[in-house]
Amino acid sequence: MNVLKVSRWTIAAFVLPCLLLYVGLVFAPIIVSFYNATLNWNGIGVAKHVGLDNFRRMFTNDSVFWPSVRRTFMLAGFSMLVQLPLALFVAILISRFVRKPNFLVSSYFMPVILSVAVIGQLWKTIYNPASQGGMINQILIKLGLGSWTHAWLSEPKVAIYAIIVIGLWQYLGYHILIQFTGIQNIPADIYEAAKIDGAEGFKADRYITLPMIVPIFKISVVLSFIGSLQSFDLIMVTTAGGPAHATDVLASHMYNISILSQKYGYGSAIACFLVVVCLAATVVINLLFNRIEKRYN
Amino acid sequence: MAGFLAVSLAACGSSNNGNNGGDAAASPSASASTPASASASAPASSSAASGEKVTITFQNIYPDPTDPKYNMLHKIVKQYETDHPNVHIELDSLNTDQQKQKLKTQAASNEVPDITIVNPSAQMKPYVDAGLFAPLNEMVEKNGLKDSFQSGILDYYTFDGNLYALPDGNNIALLYYNKALFKQAGIDAPPTTFEDLVADVKKLKEKGIQPMAIGEKDTWTGSFLFMNVLLRTNGGPGFLQDIVDGKKTFEDPAFTSAVDAFEQLVQAGAFQEGATSFDYNAGENLFKTGKAAMYFMGSWATGGIEVSDANKDGNVGVFKFPTVGGKGDPNQFMLAPGSAFAVSKNSKHLPETLDFLNYFMLNYPKEAFAVKGAVGVAQKVDGDFKAAGYSDMAMEVLAMFKDVKGGDISFDNTMNPATSQAHLSSIQNLFVSKKDAAAVAKEHQQAYEDNKE
Repeated sequence: MNVLKVSRWTIAAFVLPCLLLYVGLVFAPIIVSFYNATLNWNGIGVAKHVGLDNFRRMFTNDSVFWPSVRRTFMLAGFSMLVQLPLALFVAILISRFVRKPNFLVSSYFMPVILSVAVIGQLWKTIYNPASQGGMINQILIKLGLGSWTHAWLSEPKVAIYAIIVIGLWQYLGYHILIQFTGIQNIPADIYEAAKIDGAEGFKADRYITLPMIVPIFKISVVLSFIGSLQSFDLIMVTTAGGPAHATDVLASHMYNISILSQKYGYGSAIACFLVVVCLAATVVINLLFNRIEKRYN
Repeated sequence: MAGFLAVSLAACGSSNNGNNGGDAAASPSASASTPASASASAPASSSAASGEKVTITFQNIYPDPTDPKYNMLHKIVKQYETDHPNVHIELDSLNTDQQKQKLKTQAASNEVPDITIVNPSAQMKPYVDAGLFAPLNEMVEKNGLKDSFQSGILDYYTFDGNLYALPDGNNIALLYYNKALFKQAGIDAPPTTFEDLVADVKKLKEKGIQPMAIGEKDTWTGSFLFMNVLLRTNGGPGFLQDIVDGKKTFEDPAFTSAVDAFEQLVQAGAFQEGATSFDYNAGENLFKTGKAAMYFMGSWATGGIEVSDANKDGNVGVFKFPTVGGKGDPNQFMLAPGSAFAVSKNSKHLPETLDFLNYFMLNYPKEAFAVKGAVGVAQKVDGDFKAAGYSDMAMEVLAMFKDVKGGDISFDNTMNPATSQAHLSSIQNLFVSKKDAAAVAKEHQQAYEDNKE
């Protein structure tokens, strides 16, 4: 700090505004949420302290809660196990075989810049029953696979997978971009050295690209995991959690409880759970990747 | 509080430098803070002295310039401002859902705008209980405003003898039908019994015509229809009130037979495939574009259907919801007392606000009539509708209003929000899976008991 030749007070003065904003907009609300979670409150009238009742009810006596937790983790799981490897694979292919990759990468990135409302409407039309002009169902019928058709977004068993597919499609380009950039940043001389040693093509990928992409891949994993936990907008646009809670995830359940059912205390309890899961997930992912990174360093 | 929730959600993402999905969740907080401060910044004294500048914030749900109500609102406000140069009316125009959320957020921090919009009965009760609204008892007596309202309508906005809001509408539920499509399926007249209705659904289906349209993503639509069935199987209004009074439970035969009848309709294929992912507008559009033969909705839809493709050459007719199993009176309707204007108790300019609202409501029916929006207004309207160019269908609907012999209001206007949500999703479930009526009844009873205050 002395190197900078400014007093600690000056530093404090510059850091303070941002710090205050951060504390005021991030930490304070979280703490208030934890407090609200102990209330029986409709958000308008008089609040009553109920201790940990909301949490007890959430864990033991809410038929929607655990299924929405399961669906939330399903979103995260599909994102990490399907979307990210696919993104990495595509990124490797692009950087290896395409001379001017910008156009391709931008194309893949397109859905990310579209608003979720647009994407939701788009896919709703694609998923529509054939009688309403739905594309997928019409193609299936043309192929003679009429028995495979579904009302994709309104059959309780398939609806959540239909939504997952949209999510995977939308953010694929995002992760391709991140990982493609990561691959570009790996120094070319390493590959050249490897070539001399006889490692080429996918062998080079296995021993050079994969280990060196780990820190970037970690960012992708964290982003996709946190993003999945919070997925809300897409579900609101396509099904609003329906039919009959079949596509509710944690965030939409929290919204329904606190805004529609007007149980702000209970809704806060769900929000708290979400905060804790987010923090825990970030810690676990960081630990995991620290170990992996250590192995390669 | 909604803001807090949303922020803590967003916080979760930003502490990990990025989020993919938090944007929509965070938006209520972004829009939550502005309007009430406008009135707060005006001088604190509430004297009615004529020279003093006064700003009244008027939160409303008419943001759409193509909606006749939008022009009406602006016209009346402008007229008032001309007559009272010291008063400025600041309009905060929002969509219905946005307004609902914003008001909840504002109420949580006790910053209700001078005039705001609430829904009748159970939906406005929490606000009244929290003492946020000023009673309008005295104001409504001035200039004969009270007598301009239809008899009984103000009861839905009255609590413990105090009137807290003035409604902009009063609607009834009915069935619209497409005459050409009915003819195509060989149906001569609209059904008068539920059994005929189901039979007609099957006939239409056989001809490859979509029998009914519904926007069941917005769960209240299905509930509205279901409650009309219940109004019949119960042999009259008051089922939910009986539950609240402890005279009946949801396991009553009136309820289970309503569920059975409703499922019959669903199983006959009445509603379009994927109905639960159609929102209100998308559902209504199926009917408006002539792709569905029938549409059950409140009479507020009349204006839109009147000018739609389906109604070319007066092709759309209306009929009353039929009897179910020989029970019920078709002249009892699902009633929909409209959203209503309420005044903040903590308004800095209470006398001026009350005076303005009085003026506004007195002029409302006259202006609504002029823009052909007077079908379903909560006040008595003078004038010759036919001569003013209202269509035959509109005239039929107006005639139906004269037949009304009472009825019920919607589930979520009768029960508390948590019970209502359980009901709404339980009914939505009937659209996608066949369920035992007893199980549906039990689900309702459980939700009611869990959320009883």
